[in-house]
Amino acid sequence: MSRRVYLDHNASTPVHPEVLAEMLPFFAEIYGNPSSIHAFGREAREGVDQARERIARFLQVSPQEIVFTSGGTESDNLGVKGLASARGRGHLITSSVEHHAVLRTCQVLEAQGFDVTYVGVDAHGMVEPDEVRRALRPDTIAISVMHANSEVGTLQPIGAIGRLARERSIPFHVDAVQTFGKIPLDVDALGIDVLSFSGHKIYGPKGIAGLYIRKGTKMVSIQHGGEHERRRRAGTENLPGIVGLGKAVEVRARDMHAEAERVGALRDRLWEGVRARVPEVRLSGHPTERLPGTASLLVRHVESESIVLGLDLKGIAVSAGSACTSGNVEPSHVLVAMGVPLDWAMGAVRCSLGRSTTAEDVDYVIESVDTIVRRLRQALPVGAA
Amino acid sequence: MRYSPTLVDHFLNPRNAGMMREPDGTGESEYAGCGDLARFFLRVRYGRAVEVRFQTYGCGPTIAAASVASELGRGRTVDDLSRLTSGDVEEALEGLPEDRKHAADVAAGALRAAAHDWLSRRR
Repeated sequence: MSRRVYLDHNASTPVHPEVLAEMLPFFAEIYGNPSSIHAFGREAREGVDQARERIARFLQVSPQEIVFTSGGTESDNLGVKGLASARGRGHLITSSVEHHAVLRTCQVLEAQGFDVTYVGVDAHGMVEPDEVRRALRPDTIAISVMHANSEVGTLQPIGAIGRLARERSIPFHVDAVQTFGKIPLDVDALGIDVLSFSGHKIYGPKGIAGLYIRKGTKMVSIQHGGEHERRRRAGTENLPGIVGLGKAVEVRARDMHAEAERVGALRDRLWEGVRARVPEVRLSGHPTERLPGTASLLVRHVESESIVLGLDLKGIAVSAGSACTSGNVEPSHVLVAMGVPLDWAMGAVRCSLGRSTTAEDVDYVIESVDTIVRRLRQALPVGAA
Repeated sequence: MRYSPTLVDHFLNPRNAGMMREPDGTGESEYAGCGDLARFFLRVRYGRAVEVRFQTYGCGPTIAAASVASELGRGRTVDDLSRLTSGDVEEALEGLPEDRKHAADVAAGALRAAAHDWLSRRR
């Protein structure tokens, strides 16, 4: 296997060389604890402060409104639990297509006595703001809706939902892990109070993420210990990670627009190419309101995992929309919520493009998908699935 | 790679894939857990499977298991095939990961069913 094509950027990305260069001194040269008052600690603190300022500048918010966490999952946990626990009881609204970091957190809150409404989505995977409005109750204490879905790439009408929340002074959390640093994001215009974002989806390191918390938003911490992060998240700061995240955001601010355009064109090329060659294939998600680099293909009557395996053997990395664990195949909860029929949902394959993706890569993927699907369908019982 | 080279080879180049017109015996097996299924067709002469073909829907290991089972079956007596085990298929694949054992069950089950179909038609 010589050729290697990585089309799984929604899962993770390689660290950008500029980011890596910025991080390196923070392992063995600048290593003090940012909380220490001596010179070693002060140097480290400068690194944390600079990163916080870079992120705040990118989001056009105040540095005091940024909290660092260990990953998107922790950010979502802190965002949702932090808002709920600050009120102690009540009702939350979220969507049925959220990441499990939000969905399972909501389920835990339900077990603790909170009420949760999971609003559905349309066939494009989009939440209908009116449905959120209908779900509102006098005791609604928080709304949490993702900015873009990681599987199908559909962008949610965050601005409209934000307005509903704002009118009733309900705090609004947005999981923006898939959009932060990829497309413009204005927390004020969209009415967002709490925002989750992550480093490794935008060419930063793994194990570092953050939360924007609008000043005045009532939150309680879920992790207890020292006085770090203005008592919102205890634990010694991940210094190299934070420095890397800050640099990654700075690089994205510079490159984001041009890259969104380039990657969007490659995504279109991929879809057009696959559609022209492979019968019975669909693009899931919204036709226009979508992440630039995500193409979620639904290949009828073929199982996702066999396509992923076939592509893997050709050096191509994509992800399966249905997960098989110990012989049980579950189609993705997102596709189920969108009402995608089972014979299509079982053959969901997500391609997510990024910085390194070239037109040659895309052409190679089109050709490989065609070959593999053709071969898999050859061995297929008529009307199976 | 968590799969053996033999498994990968059968997945990439399935032998005897496709349906058969007017087979002497057919059989199916489905694994309810994930909906993987296989269907086998036999052409029988003098009690032996002279041609074995299959169709399958499932993950890579299931496709490979059906392919390898079709090779195991050809030339054997149908009596033999009616006793084919998952272990025989797995051995021919040079092993399966714990969470993909169903692949051999589906393939062996479908091939045994095809053998029983021929045996019952003969009676």
